[in-house]
Amino acid sequence: MNQYEAYELVIGLEVHVQLNTRTKLFSSAPNRFGDEPNMNIGIVDTGQPGALPVINKEAVNKAIMFGKAIDAEIPLYSRFDRKSYFYPDSPRNFQITQFDHPIVIGGKVVADVEGKSKTFQIHHAHLEDDAGMLKHFNSFAGIDYNRAGAPLIEIVSEPCMHSPKDASAYAMAVRAIMQYIGASECNMEEGQMRMDVNVSVRKKGETTFRPKAEIKNMNSFTFMEWAIEAEFVRQVQEYEKNPDKPFEEVIEQATLRFDIEKKKTVKMRSKEQAADYRYFPEPDIPPVVLTKEYIDEIGKNLPELPHERYSRYVEQLELGEYNASLLVNDKRLSDYFEEALKECDNGKAVCNWVTVEFVGRIKETGTHIADFGIPPQYIGELVTLIDKKTITGKIAKSVADDMVQHPNKSPSDIVKENPDYQPMSDTSAIEPLIDQVLSENPGSIEDYKNGKDKAYNYLVGQVMKLTRGKASPDVVKDLLSKKLG
Amino acid sequence: MHTLSAFELNKKFLSGEVTAQAIAEHFLQRIKKYNDELGCFLAVFDNEVLQQAKALDEKKAKGEPLGKLAGVPIAIKDNIQFEGHKTTCGSKFLEDYVAPYTASCVSHLISEDALIMGKTNLDEFAMGSSSEHSAYFPVKNPWDLKRAPGGSSGGSAAAVAARLVPIALGSDTGGSIRQPASFTGTFGYKPTYGRVSRYGLVAFGSSFDVIGPFTNSAQDTSMVMEVLGRPCPHDGTSYQELPEPYLDHIDNSLQGKKIGVPWDFIESMEGESLQLFKQGLEVLKKLGCEIIDCKLPLLKHSIPVYYILSTAEASTNLARFDGIRYGTRSKEAQTLDEIYDLSKRDGFGAEVRQRIMLGTFVLSSEHQEVFYRKAQRVRTLIINEYKDAFKECDIIATPTAPNPAFELDSIKDPLKMYLQDLYTIGANLAGLPAISVPCGHFDGKLPCGIQFFGKQGDDAKILQFAHQFESEQTFEPSIPSRYA
Repeated sequence: MNQYEAYELVIGLEVHVQLNTRTKLFSSAPNRFGDEPNMNIGIVDTGQPGALPVINKEAVNKAIMFGKAIDAEIPLYSRFDRKSYFYPDSPRNFQITQFDHPIVIGGKVVADVEGKSKTFQIHHAHLEDDAGMLKHFNSFAGIDYNRAGAPLIEIVSEPCMHSPKDASAYAMAVRAIMQYIGASECNMEEGQMRMDVNVSVRKKGETTFRPKAEIKNMNSFTFMEWAIEAEFVRQVQEYEKNPDKPFEEVIEQATLRFDIEKKKTVKMRSKEQAADYRYFPEPDIPPVVLTKEYIDEIGKNLPELPHERYSRYVEQLELGEYNASLLVNDKRLSDYFEEALKECDNGKAVCNWVTVEFVGRIKETGTHIADFGIPPQYIGELVTLIDKKTITGKIAKSVADDMVQHPNKSPSDIVKENPDYQPMSDTSAIEPLIDQVLSENPGSIEDYKNGKDKAYNYLVGQVMKLTRGKASPDVVKDLLSKKLG
Repeated sequence: MHTLSAFELNKKFLSGEVTAQAIAEHFLQRIKKYNDELGCFLAVFDNEVLQQAKALDEKKAKGEPLGKLAGVPIAIKDNIQFEGHKTTCGSKFLEDYVAPYTASCVSHLISEDALIMGKTNLDEFAMGSSSEHSAYFPVKNPWDLKRAPGGSSGGSAAAVAARLVPIALGSDTGGSIRQPASFTGTFGYKPTYGRVSRYGLVAFGSSFDVIGPFTNSAQDTSMVMEVLGRPCPHDGTSYQELPEPYLDHIDNSLQGKKIGVPWDFIESMEGESLQLFKQGLEVLKKLGCEIIDCKLPLLKHSIPVYYILSTAEASTNLARFDGIRYGTRSKEAQTLDEIYDLSKRDGFGAEVRQRIMLGTFVLSSEHQEVFYRKAQRVRTLIINEYKDAFKECDIIATPTAPNPAFELDSIKDPLKMYLQDLYTIGANLAGLPAISVPCGHFDGKLPCGIQFFGKQGDDAKILQFAHQFESEQTFEPSIPSRYA
């Protein structure tokens, strides 16, 4: 047996999501990405003496929404704590976070892992403020505090994942929930979502945990999968190399980063070097005291959640699980699909046209379909044209090509303006073509009469070719069958 | 003019007897004359005040509405932000730090047409009980220049006692308004925690810190509290309800009120202090109050509890003074760690460094349970003890300080210095409103204060007691002769 097969992975994720509130978590400075350095700052964000943090209610509400969306407990009492550490991007030299009374406790996230639905348990989720960013120049470093004070929600899972795919599917599901409840766009390039991954391995069948290592700051699902895979290999090799040592000596509790070039995890600091954060309750912010009514009201007003949409796609639209999760995991794609559906209720076909035909056609541009410019209604309209047999599937593909070229033109107009796309429904026009094919292929007629279906299909194909795809195959088959007797 | 109360000054200004300009000039002159010997002010805003006074006179001439504190000179403790002016906190670390914004309380004063005269001296970062530990110069007691005015708000206390201003703001974390008030014969008021916004007060112990006024009468305290005690959206711990109007209440009789005295706690006090306190109780009796014994057995633990919790909070509050964004950065520093270490070494005085280290220690994961957490639990018990006590009485009275003003440089042991706060800390632990009111003089010379404290939110009641008590007083003199 391969040495790796004897082991299993145990993974827990800490997902940091930046909430899209209008202002920062504790100040009225804009919570916005991409501006010139130090534009979106105020006295609170730069830690001026005497400045006080005031909790942003919108952030609290969004955290509650997330909690309700994952069926978690929202305690009536939660509070903030100071977490001390010195770093130039930390304006107060302490972070305001929630240590032992978080806003969200427990809950579960359902994710589709390679076609299988799995439920992942959440330990808790808490609110905290982000730090600024250091920028290194030749002879000095600058600090941009624009991000300082941005609201983060950190979602801490139980150590309940056992494969890189589990981890990425879970993280994607969390992202989808955030997007659906409108709490964050989770744009990873803009740093709106990052993951810390706790990885340990153990022999299959073991019920206790071995020491874990933490891979910090992953901002891509793919890289996260690679990092977990690499760490799995490293840890298993260490245990195999040191079969007699205590686990704690084999795998040191440490913080790692993932080197993408080498596809290896690299140690940042060991546990001995870890800071003592000296947590204690934040005296400047009164505890968050909620009422059950307040929480219930937020729960009642939740929009459709990813898993609910998924079920609707599978059960009502009869989409395949793969397609359903493909759509659901990309909220913008799914919303686009929803808009197209308003024009045409043939879900399966609309899904195919959106996710395969159109996404495929624009893939090279690197643009998301929602940004490409084709109104989603046009795709619904196109599918309707097919369903009503106004055009054939083959012509529809040409119409789609044209739609990509002219995103503002409706498929009906495209069809109307191009004589080649006019359907050939007049049997008198098709009949001569059938006669022509029959006269040119006496051998096939012979074969057909001898019971060869292939020959029949060949003849249909020849007729379709002459109509340049404009005739409905059904009509052609109908006429041909009559002629052949 | 300087012997007038703020209330009287304002009346005279409104009636046209004096101009704002004349008021400003008079008090600026007094500051100029006496500040060298007293060390009250770290900054005086001469030109600005004169301009402001001129504008105020013009405003009055035009018949425009005037604020509640029109023409009243007020000084600000130098740990409170006032945009465009330095906020040094009495520390070298903030030697060149210019406030980028104005504290809510100062904005309120300005909006009511008060004249902001300057910034007053203090123990560095408000850590101390003598105002000797300013990085600039010590403050002297106007009653005896060889003695300390108490602290940490000693600059404000001395300025009001010497009539350099009728009102000055201080801050009180463990007694920093009341103990110096007792030492200087002024009215020092520590409002209910949260009653005055802390926005713009450089934090020491966030869950204890309160801004409050020094004055020469309970009426002046009431007048300025009506302005200071407004809810503030920038301070999450700020009281959201307005109190009943203070001035309307102060004339109400105290007939039949019950005063609790924790005799067990006061026992240890020395001769004359105790004598003066008992005299004060006699005054209350004359006013128709009944004196009853109240039990506060846990109060004896208040000093260790306070020094654990306040230093814990301070150690994080002062962490921002790292030399990165503002403040003094050590020129020697080569690395990031050196910037942190050397800037603090150079910028902070010994007492501040000591408290930061103490606070860091009590919060460390290894020691947090036995120090910080235990102290928090005792704090909760003390809060409950007060709640029970107030079921039996209207207010509690104690001495303000265990002794009269001591000589400069006479208390070298920090633990002895910490005992200065013995009677004042309880109100900070429980967030109670408390005032020190003059109640006589030691050996006919140095002043002595009596302290009243009440339930959270009972600010109006405390000021009523203070005013009634003051009205029944007969002792002389209330102004040190040199400054009369």
